[in-house]
Amino acid sequence: MDQDLAKKTVEQLRRAGINFVTYLPETRLSSILPFLEAERFFQLVPVASEAEAITIASGASLVGKQPACYMEGTGLFVCSYNLLTVSVRLGVPLLLLISYVGSFADQRNSFRFAPTGIRTEAQLEALNIEYQLIANCHDLETKTNDAVRMMNALKQPVALLFTGDFTA
Amino acid sequence: MNRHDCLQALVPHISDQLVVPSVSGQWIWGELSKHDGNLLLGSMGNAIGVGLGMALALPHRKVIVLESDGSVLLSLFNLPTLGSLNPDNLVVFVFDNEAYSGSRISRPTATAGKTNLAAMAKDAGVSYAVTVRDIEAFNREMSLAVKEKGLRFIVAKIEETFEHRKVQRSDVDLLENKYRFVRYIERTEGIPVFRGRG
Repeated sequence: MDQDLAKKTVEQLRRAGINFVTYLPETRLSSILPFLEAERFFQLVPVASEAEAITIASGASLVGKQPACYMEGTGLFVCSYNLLTVSVRLGVPLLLLISYVGSFADQRNSFRFAPTGIRTEAQLEALNIEYQLIANCHDLETKTNDAVRMMNALKQPVALLFTGDFTA
Repeated sequence: MNRHDCLQALVPHISDQLVVPSVSGQWIWGELSKHDGNLLLGSMGNAIGVGLGMALALPHRKVIVLESDGSVLLSLFNLPTLGSLNPDNLVVFVFDNEAYSGSRISRPTATAGKTNLAAMAKDAGVSYAVTVRDIEAFNREMSLAVKEKGLRFIVAKIEETFEHRKVQRSDVDLLENKYRFVRYIERTEGIPVFRGRG
């Protein structure tokens, strides 16, 4: 993911009102992290597991933050229990920023990622989590704004799956 | 020392703190405390994370997590995160009966053997992590923890009892409790929590 796209992604998160981000670094979107760190608007929380990325963000959401959880697609499987038992069950607005490793448009797809990638959307559907794919810069503003509006309207987690140009 | 006695001792100390009980303590806590700042989760392995998120988001507000040994063992990744972030407004009580008593066959947890949760928390970076073994020690640690600043991780070794099975379960479901909690936050913090409008 090139620097310009990373910068625009972070700027768009800020414009959409996201102000609390839990994260576990991975390969495709990691260049957003220096831009997140440089922006005092975001409260950043590094975690040891995607499971606690969800529970920590849920706690913050219930006391007034607009949180996002940044993780690799494989992390969705790690945190499914926590999504289901806290965020989905209680109805907690969260934005999941998922690097869609192993997807068709993943520019660095490999045998390490494809087996989980092809199950990612089915997993979100099983959890009843609404999602959108973003593959290029043109969709960034609209889909980020739409996802934040949806997570607040639905009072549920909503996911953005980053693929295509975001995985280069 | 048992969980009921500990929780009963805690109740008079609750004013505007936010309290997040894990599933094993929530029936007794829900019976003892009608505080609007209680968030009931009804699940294991989630309470420390949720309480930590609240503590980070509202650093001026004390957050109290009521955990159990089985639940902490399910979410050990929380310990290094607690140690690294070190929020000075969070207290974690772990009621450790050394058993999976909810299973009704009382199989031992690892803490019945060699595992020491306070030592694990300490080595994960939580500088104040202690184990208490009687109600006097619990009361001493608890009364300091609820009023003083600093991250505290207090493991209370308790007897396995089955009193929670006698408690009539509340008809307030988790969603209703969440709304009550969120409206309490909005009222006491003067901020909006839910942004979606009709």
